[in-house]
Amino acid sequence: MIEVNDLTKVFKKPIRGNGLSGMVKTLFSRKYEEIRAVDGITFTVPDGEIVGYIGANGAGKSTTIKMMCGILTPTSGTVFIDGVEPYRKRRQVAQHIGVVFGQKTQLWWDIPLVESFKVLKEIYQIPDADYKERMGFLGEVLDITRFLSQPVRTLSLGERMRADLAASMLHNPRILFLDEPTIGMDVLVKEKIRLAIHALNKTYGTAVVLTTHDMTDIENLCSRIILLEKGSVLYDGPLKSLKTRFGNIKTLTLTVPAEIRAETAPVLSPEVAVSEEDSRLILRFDADRIPLEQVVQYAFRDLKAMDMKIAEISIGDVVKTILEQQEAAHAEKV
Amino acid sequence: MRYVHLYFTCIKRSMISRLEYKKDTIVALFSFFFSNFCSLAAIYFILQAIPALAGYSLPEVGFFYGFSMMPIALDHLFSDEFWLVAYRRVKDGDMDMHFLRPVPVMFQVFAETFQPEGFGELILGVALITVCALNLTVKVTFGAIVVLCVGAVFGAIIITSLKVAMAALAFIFKRSGPLLQVIYNFSSYAKYPLAIYPWLIRTLLIFVLPFGLFISLPVDTLLYGTYNPWLLCLAIIGCSAVFFAVAAWVWTLCERRYESTGS
Amino acid sequence: MLKKYKPFLRAGAIDTTAYRFNILIWAVITVCEVACMVFLWLAVYRSSEGGMDAVIHGFTYREMIAYVVLTTIFNFVTYNNDTLWNINTDIKKGTVGNYLIKPISYRGKFAATSLGNLLTMTLMFGLPLYTAALVTLGVLGFLPGLTFPTFFAHLGLFLLSGLCASLLNDTISYIFGILCFYTSSGWGLNSLKVTLISFLSGTLLPIAFFPKGLRDVVSWMPFAGMSQNPVLILMMKYDLKESLRCVALSVAWIVVLELFAKLLFSHAVRKVTVHGG
Repeated sequence: MIEVNDLTKVFKKPIRGNGLSGMVKTLFSRKYEEIRAVDGITFTVPDGEIVGYIGANGAGKSTTIKMMCGILTPTSGTVFIDGVEPYRKRRQVAQHIGVVFGQKTQLWWDIPLVESFKVLKEIYQIPDADYKERMGFLGEVLDITRFLSQPVRTLSLGERMRADLAASMLHNPRILFLDEPTIGMDVLVKEKIRLAIHALNKTYGTAVVLTTHDMTDIENLCSRIILLEKGSVLYDGPLKSLKTRFGNIKTLTLTVPAEIRAETAPVLSPEVAVSEEDSRLILRFDADRIPLEQVVQYAFRDLKAMDMKIAEISIGDVVKTILEQQEAAHAEKV
Repeated sequence: MRYVHLYFTCIKRSMISRLEYKKDTIVALFSFFFSNFCSLAAIYFILQAIPALAGYSLPEVGFFYGFSMMPIALDHLFSDEFWLVAYRRVKDGDMDMHFLRPVPVMFQVFAETFQPEGFGELILGVALITVCALNLTVKVTFGAIVVLCVGAVFGAIIITSLKVAMAALAFIFKRSGPLLQVIYNFSSYAKYPLAIYPWLIRTLLIFVLPFGLFISLPVDTLLYGTYNPWLLCLAIIGCSAVFFAVAAWVWTLCERRYESTGS
Repeated sequence: MLKKYKPFLRAGAIDTTAYRFNILIWAVITVCEVACMVFLWLAVYRSSEGGMDAVIHGFTYREMIAYVVLTTIFNFVTYNNDTLWNINTDIKKGTVGNYLIKPISYRGKFAATSLGNLLTMTLMFGLPLYTAALVTLGVLGFLPGLTFPTFFAHLGLFLLSGLCASLLNDTISYIFGILCFYTSSGWGLNSLKVTLISFLSGTLLPIAFFPKGLRDVVSWMPFAGMSQNPVLILMMKYDLKESLRCVALSVAWIVVLELFAKLLFSHAVRKVTVHGG
């Protein structure tokens, strides 16, 4: 279980002068610019839950993850992993967590993959029987058996990430932190990785904290998301209620006769936004405010629709909308 | 016991990495022998022009050179990774993975690389010492041999301690390689008899950066019986204990200050 | 034609200024090394049969100290390129291919960076260091060979031979860099190169100290022109005729080595394209 309480991280960045005199000044006078990367975050992740940790670049996702696994010390606030503060008892916590940073590998570059695993087996003191069982499981769900004897540097990006995931799961951690595990992968590899995370969570009850920019990851894996913006939690809750928080937004995509244009179409109500895309009309509205039935009638009667597709708004659109709104709000303040 | 086993597992890993670059290892080994050959040739050519260097004959100077390689080679075998920590790894944010594992970080750094080049140095040093000793006309005492062994082994501990302490500073300043380099390069002063240096430098090399203490003084003891071997052994062992304790303390202190990079 | 290499000249210049702190630390290390050499030479002369007045292989102890100081400055100013490492990185990352399809030559890029470095280093460090060293050593009587106004002719030849030395160094680094294609890593090759140059260029000790046969061979090799000859030209241990001969030898070697580098490169590239990576 992870308990994060009023967690704050302030980075001090020395303000540098220009040129040699500036460098000398920096040496003596210490002026800092304060950057609040994480600003009073509180949440709890119970055992066995998969949490999507999302937000724009620089929202403070990686900084929080680093504090949760103990390689950054909070400026204030606390993190408890199963009752232990990771930045105080790093080694004790390390035995129970697995970490993958998408940009970096923890595998040894020049040696066959399986040799890396053998070293990790010793580091985490994994008994032979467990090791065998884990390798069997991981080999299957991550499909890594094929390149076990290849040096890591010869692996493709997707293979390397699967290998890294396997390495972080080898010691059966109770919590897994994944920082952008699908970055730069193709669709098939992403799917494989998702299935593996899912299988791991089902089989061993491992809790997973996952940051990603890929909303498909979130929709397929996470029952709960935490949305971060400028170091603060903007939303924390189940995926479903994030969707409905902004109303029951639906879109209708209509194929209409050529003479019907978005600008000239008869208006039903200001609640229905009409736009045009690839000579189709798109109607966007909140089904809680104006009944779907009424809009459908309007589409057939007034817009002479020949074909129609009804869709719920996607989670990606919701997040995009939220972030855009926030940005606009900030822009107004400034 | 667990750590001994773990150490050997890691070392095996390091050797497998090295074997991936066979050709480069061969070139490195060759260039290592070549570089020492050149230094020795330079000394040989210089000594051809004079009868003796500050009273030391050619085989005696060669003995000095050969013996100075012993502690340096031993240190080289086990602690090469600290160079990378000091120069690059902390700055590049490449240390995080060690902090995420349930094993002491210092142990992991030691276990990261085993440098077989050290054996080359060791073999060359022993060969040089043997050849020079055969051309010497001194009476070898048991005490002198003991003090040479102590100088080599505990001298290596002193060098490693200096390395550890300097590399640890990288946890605070991000990069301490150049500083480590400055300190380490003083070891080249110990390749020659202390007698060629002025008083100030001699004192510095015995009491501050004690390369002279564990290289020059034991050799002088062998050649001329200058010092009591048993007291010298005591001094070297005591010195290495102090250096090691200080290095471990500095490392612990700096490691606690380590923070990963933001973002 | 030279215009397209201009960005690399500038990159070289910026590289050098960006590492001021490193240069400071290296200065400390260098001073320590020079001091060590000076103590060694003082002990050598003190132990020689003629005592401190001895002339060993044409050098008095004062000239020897001047030689050590000036070669150190010379090497510091002249040898500063990462040609070997950059080629090694390009090979490891597989980016050499990118250069093959660009309209600038791979070799020209490195030469331009090197010359950019040489120019900045000479202006930033060379000028003050040489002036300080020459004035101090001259006043102390460590440079007995200096006579005016011939010195200015020597100074000109010295700068020219410095340029040659920098190019020679870059060419040799380039050749060793290409050899990385065959060994797949640069550590060993780099240290081999450094050792080779420091021994055969007279940095470790003047070539006059080498035994007769070796001395004759080495003085016809390109290395002597990379450190010993320029410094002896500056110290006016060589007369004008000898100095000109040294510069001519260096130029000839540059041409030969460049041709060799070209052949080697095309062979290495062919090998890479055959093996596909």
